[in-house]
Amino acid sequence: MSTGVLGTDKRGIRELGAEEKVGWDEVTRGVVLNSFDGEALDIAHKKAEERDYSDFNSYVATVASWRIIKPVFNRDICIDCQNCWVWCPDTSIISRDKQMLGIDYDHCKGCGVCVEVCPTNPKSLLMFSEAKENEDALEEWPEKEKKTK
Amino acid sequence: MAKEFDLNEVEVWDGNYAASQALRQAQIDVVAAYPITPSTPIVEGYGSYVANGYVDGEFVMVESEHGAMSGCVGAAASGGRVATATSSQGFALMVEVLYQASGMRLPIVLTVVNRALASPLNVRGDHSDMYLGRDSGWIQIDAFNPQEAYDLTLCAFRMGEHLDVRLPVMVHQDGFTTSHKAQNVTPLKDEVAYAFVGDYVPVNDMLDFSRPVTHGAQTEEDWHYEHKAKQHKALMDSRTVIDEVFADFKALTGREYKRVESYLMDDAEVAIVVLGSSVETAVLAAKQLREEEGIKAGVVSPRCFRPFPYDLVRDALDIPTLKAVSCLDKSAPGGAMGALFNEVSAAVYTTKARPMMTNYIYGLGGRDFAVDEAKRIFKEQKAHADAGHITTDIQQFSGLRGPKLGFFQTRRD
Amino acid sequence: MAITSIKNLKEFSTNNDRFEGSHLLCPGCAHSMIVRELMNCTDDNLVIASNTGCLEVSTAVYPYTSWDTSWIHIGFENAATAASCAESMYKARKRKGTLKDNDAPVKFVAFGGDGSTYDIGFQWLSGAMERGHDFTYICLDNENYANTGGQRSSATPIGANTSTAQAGSHSYGKKQKKKDIVAIMAAHGAPYVAQLAPNKWKSMAKGFQKALETEGPCFINTVSACTTEWKFDPKDTIHITDLATDTLMFPIYEIIDGHELNILYRPKNILKVEDYLGAQGRYRHLFKPENKHVIERIQSDIDKNWEMLQRREEARI
Repeated sequence: MSTGVLGTDKRGIRELGAEEKVGWDEVTRGVVLNSFDGEALDIAHKKAEERDYSDFNSYVATVASWRIIKPVFNRDICIDCQNCWVWCPDTSIISRDKQMLGIDYDHCKGCGVCVEVCPTNPKSLLMFSEAKENEDALEEWPEKEKKTK
Repeated sequence: MAKEFDLNEVEVWDGNYAASQALRQAQIDVVAAYPITPSTPIVEGYGSYVANGYVDGEFVMVESEHGAMSGCVGAAASGGRVATATSSQGFALMVEVLYQASGMRLPIVLTVVNRALASPLNVRGDHSDMYLGRDSGWIQIDAFNPQEAYDLTLCAFRMGEHLDVRLPVMVHQDGFTTSHKAQNVTPLKDEVAYAFVGDYVPVNDMLDFSRPVTHGAQTEEDWHYEHKAKQHKALMDSRTVIDEVFADFKALTGREYKRVESYLMDDAEVAIVVLGSSVETAVLAAKQLREEEGIKAGVVSPRCFRPFPYDLVRDALDIPTLKAVSCLDKSAPGGAMGALFNEVSAAVYTTKARPMMTNYIYGLGGRDFAVDEAKRIFKEQKAHADAGHITTDIQQFSGLRGPKLGFFQTRRD
Repeated sequence: MAITSIKNLKEFSTNNDRFEGSHLLCPGCAHSMIVRELMNCTDDNLVIASNTGCLEVSTAVYPYTSWDTSWIHIGFENAATAASCAESMYKARKRKGTLKDNDAPVKFVAFGGDGSTYDIGFQWLSGAMERGHDFTYICLDNENYANTGGQRSSATPIGANTSTAQAGSHSYGKKQKKKDIVAIMAAHGAPYVAQLAPNKWKSMAKGFQKALETEGPCFINTVSACTTEWKFDPKDTIHITDLATDTLMFPIYEIIDGHELNILYRPKNILKVEDYLGAQGRYRHLFKPENKHVIERIQSDIDKNWEMLQRREEARI
């Protein structure tokens, strides 16, 4: 099942640490890990959804369980400044063609940096409890704050 | 293109120069090195080839031996042929990276000119550094003279780089007694030597950008054990490749090497097991004793120190006439029997005859080991044989001034 | 080499990350912000070496790698040597024509924390800089041995509380000043040396691109705010870094060819150092009356250093 740009076939398919302990024959010689399956030329010009990630790439693992709070993205307010993209420590802001598309919840650890660096008023990213549905969170979005002098 | 070096059919080379010529002929891509006595002339010799156009590769003079082996690992992971040289304290400084090189399965060649370890500081030859490397996961082969230092250095590339092996290889020679002793050496022509070594085949090459590769990952309890076990298996299994390389080398040159060398052992009653340049001394002593006193003495030497050739050592010592064997260790044992004694005893325990085993520590810090000393050791073995039991301490220090120093006896009640 | 556009963040964001998520760095860690930015500054092939440290133990734990480029780790101290000798191998193989693609552009980069850069790997770094390899060394300076639980390093500032230089009834924390690694690297005659910070993403990207483009050994010290050991909320990483640069605790500048110094960021309002210290748990004890003198000392050191940097810049030597 392909879920497209916001979540590819291979992304976050395994809980980190829950991978099968492969047998004697599969353990790689010299502890070498290949990032991709097959030929993988020119990776710098391939988007995540175009890459053939190997099972040894942490892209296929998820750290979602680290989170107790999560950022929720409100497309309606976003100005695509890309602050969240440049400062995300977990490569979890999905931007394509200069547009912010959403959060990669497989790799996001819920640090909240993206919310802090978001410059809009109200913010286009806010932290909510992990248990809250995104739709409900969007319903509760605050109004623009008036500047008080 | 590197210039061809004009070589005579027979050259007069010391062990250092012989090793440096072999390194040159292997057309190494990167030599990262730091000089130390007594192996300095290997590095200097190589540098002179670089300066005069006999080498196409890079010569990186790093800031320490740790840096030298680190550089070798970085370069080897980048898909080319790599080698360096060291001794003693330099070897000790490299130890951390020796383990990393073998764990990362990088076929680096290290020419080691054996020298004592401080303290006290000593520049002369003993086997302390070679022994320090014995658990590092490298193949270790031992040259007894300059010709062998040349031959085995060429062979080392073939062994380590073999696709079934992919492990680093040390080629040992004794400090000064081999490294600085000029003897006749018959080299191969450059093109013949290179054809024997062959082109380097990159594996998990960091410079192949179509296959991005991570080297040196961490493995914790779920993975580490399998990795180390596989590495050990590769090292143990490398014996068949080592034998193949020796066979090919014999076909090319007529010079024969075995993982275990035996001399005068067919009817031997007593034997010495010893490494390095002392082998020739022990063989001379055995010959003289046979002629002068009719003592049937023989010599065995594991040319391949790692993987330790338990199978061939057993074969060499599983002789019905053999009564007593003494293993000579040229390294301060640090509260145990010498390493050679321990390894050989393990092999001998599996023989039918189970000859009596004793251990001599000798030659520390370059103390001379002469024919008379070897003869005396043979005669002590003969006394054990005649008495039917070990008549001395099991471990003794040979050639030491002062009172006789020995430890551990056989229980005989 | 092919550098990527850093005209503005929108342009910059069109790069495809080669550093993947589900690494094990702490939430809010600045290390990965810096690493991502470096890797997005070029679309050349990269050979990256990492010293042992937070970055290394979090990004290559079997059976996972977070690196989409060639990457190597050997030990705590020798990434500079690994990267520099990988570069030597590249030169040798390019000359001999044995590379798989002899025209593929490649850059060599080494990463180390302040533990491996300022302390245990100092000699290896110095050797590689002196030898003149074409590579860039980037120190992720979080001012302590964070990977092992926050011990002091020679990059730890005076007054910080660490697990081996504790603050207590008889101690205000670390007694020694931070080592000036930038000056030491500049003194090697390196063609490009800089101190950069991830909150100023553009000056950092410019510095990275200059280092990657400059032939020869380049060194960059980056401030990497450490939520775990500096003791602040993970969401505040950029805010804390702002305070570091705006108090001039961490000035941003470059030194070209060992002498030409350029200041890359001048705060409009220079903040008092208390603002920076007070935002972190590691300096909390300094606000006790008996430790007031330490804060005064830190401020005085900052003022003197800023004066020195400005004078050196003006001198144009």
